[in-house]
Amino acid sequence: MLDFLQMIVSGIAVGSSYALMGLAMVIIYKTSEVVNFAQGEMALLSSFLTYMVLEYHGFSIYVAIPCALLFAILLGCFLEFAVLRRAKEPNVLGLIIITIGLEMILMGFVSWKFGADHKTMPFPISPYDSVAIGEVFISSLEILNLIVAVAIMLFFFIFFRYSKLGLAMKATQQNLVAARLMGIRTNRILMITWGVSSLVGCMAGLLLSPVIMHPYMMWDPMLKGFAAAVLGGMTSLPGAVFGAYILGIIENLFGGYVSIEFKSIVAFVIIVLVLCFKPSGLFARHYVKKV
Amino acid sequence: MYKFFKNFGFVVLTLLLAMVGLAGAEEGVTDTEIHIGQWGPQTGPAAPWGSVARGTDAYFKMINAQGGIHGRKLIHHMFDDAYNPAKTKAGVKQLQEEVGMFAWVSGVGTSPGLAVKDYLMQRRIPWVGPSAGSLHWITPPHKELFAVYPLYFAEAKALCRYAISNLKKKRIAIAYLNDDYGKNGLQGAAEALAAHGLKLAAQVPVELKDADMKPHVMQLRKAKPDVVLLWTPVPHAVKIVGTSKAMKFAPQFMSTSTCSDFPLMYHISKGLWKGVIAATFAELPDSNDPLLMQYKKEAYGQFAAKEERWGLFYYAGIVFSEPLVEGLKRAGRDLTRESFVAAMETIQNFKGIGGKVNYKPFNAKDPYCRQGMQEIFIIECLEGGKAKKLTNWMAIK
Repeated sequence: MLDFLQMIVSGIAVGSSYALMGLAMVIIYKTSEVVNFAQGEMALLSSFLTYMVLEYHGFSIYVAIPCALLFAILLGCFLEFAVLRRAKEPNVLGLIIITIGLEMILMGFVSWKFGADHKTMPFPISPYDSVAIGEVFISSLEILNLIVAVAIMLFFFIFFRYSKLGLAMKATQQNLVAARLMGIRTNRILMITWGVSSLVGCMAGLLLSPVIMHPYMMWDPMLKGFAAAVLGGMTSLPGAVFGAYILGIIENLFGGYVSIEFKSIVAFVIIVLVLCFKPSGLFARHYVKKV
Repeated sequence: MYKFFKNFGFVVLTLLLAMVGLAGAEEGVTDTEIHIGQWGPQTGPAAPWGSVARGTDAYFKMINAQGGIHGRKLIHHMFDDAYNPAKTKAGVKQLQEEVGMFAWVSGVGTSPGLAVKDYLMQRRIPWVGPSAGSLHWITPPHKELFAVYPLYFAEAKALCRYAISNLKKKRIAIAYLNDDYGKNGLQGAAEALAAHGLKLAAQVPVELKDADMKPHVMQLRKAKPDVVLLWTPVPHAVKIVGTSKAMKFAPQFMSTSTCSDFPLMYHISKGLWKGVIAATFAELPDSNDPLLMQYKKEAYGQFAAKEERWGLFYYAGIVFSEPLVEGLKRAGRDLTRESFVAAMETIQNFKGIGGKVNYKPFNAKDPYCRQGMQEIFIIECLEGGKAKKLTNWMAIK
């Protein structure tokens, strides 16, 4: 029983890092229907620049992190403005391919600039300190991750439902032309969306960096975040978060009771199953476009 | 008419002499150069091991600066295979067939090495010092393949013996990468324990893609081991030690030489690597060994990039290349692949900055005729990533 509880808690803990990446991907998808495969590497660049100012320039973490978040917003806005918006006669597939290209460019840049040696980011909370609930352990950093993921989910849930900007983002996704006719500056909305999504991804990167940093560190969380978002529903913010927790728990239970060797592929089996049986995901409403 | 035959005869003679000359020339060897190939991951997840190839490069440059070998410079052809066996094969074929290598040196990784082993051996191209302690290099042995890196299998045996005899531990578990590298360690540990009438308390496979180590640590913890062997890549080893600390699980951790770069391990584990015991195959970075100090000054100091770190895997590139250079020296000016292999077979008790290297005349039934280094020593990580020698060099059979 103790093992079972530990697996559930560990699943929720690991699910939090997937949740942040999933949220970041859903925010862009909700507005543009583009799956952003550069999401992980955008976070990677922000995280490594944070590491650089902390380690090489001696900045305080309390200065470095707000600067990193600001940089992440600017990076997201810049990529949308300078690259995606320039695509001629863009369709969703073309834009997805562009994000794959961006992913390679950003990873190449980080590898070139920072080298391949493993690094770790100094952080006020150690990833290896833990809180014990009886005999069940959860690390302090994972608790922070969980709080951040749930807080961001709630913030954006309210933001998309009740704020003018959030409604404009949803309108842009549902019908770009109609949104423009209603006076929404859709280009600006798309740029802001990329900035906000990059900010959320950056938080995921910063919360992973105190463990180990290397140029490939965000690829797996990005894929797991994508799997979580597909499971929960690519257009649902709570869906992405709950999908991430479900995924984390399933992975842990599978590793504990079925096969630890095949634990990492569970996420991808889930993507296939969800796409076959409920393509809109577990928590998203399926919109039918009417003629 | 006489003049015609004289000229014709001269041309024919010249052509014949040229053909004889060409037939005698060895691929990859000219009057002034010896071409040596090497692959190593400069990008990708295994890129931290890319420093091996850069270490070799600086070493060759040092030798060239000293005048080369028998009047010939070593021309080092290094390419990035990103630890991708398909890229290794393509790169080796391209360099071999378009440029022509005399021999290959080092080459990081078991899987990339296995991808080209048959290609090189079928063409009888010498390959010295694959950068992995795999049993594949010597089982079966090949005439032109000279292994240097001590076997992971032997390292696991040495650590288990040390745990049982010196630390008086009986319950030993292992977390191993589910590939040839990890399985070699698993096999060595199982054999060493069996020799003492013991069995592994737990054997937990780790996949390269696994990022969360909690399920693995839970399985290890369940077995209540005194010692946990870590036969995994660096990030996984650090995460297992860290997650164990978070879960209040504190066995004695022991690890393979791939995780014995203590300054790095200490730094990225935020100090948790302190107390970890590991096997290693080369002098410590701050050792007073005169040869190591010479390499640090003349190879690393002169030819390394500014941001390069003097760490174990950087000068491992020298360790794996020293026997090749020794073989080239012994082969003399009349260098052919045959004379080189014959010279390599004469290497006995050769001591560079690693353990002693020994080869024997080729015997298809004796794998150890091609396993150069069989010595390792055991170290413990101290505060700040410093290392304490727990044993002297010891040969593990």
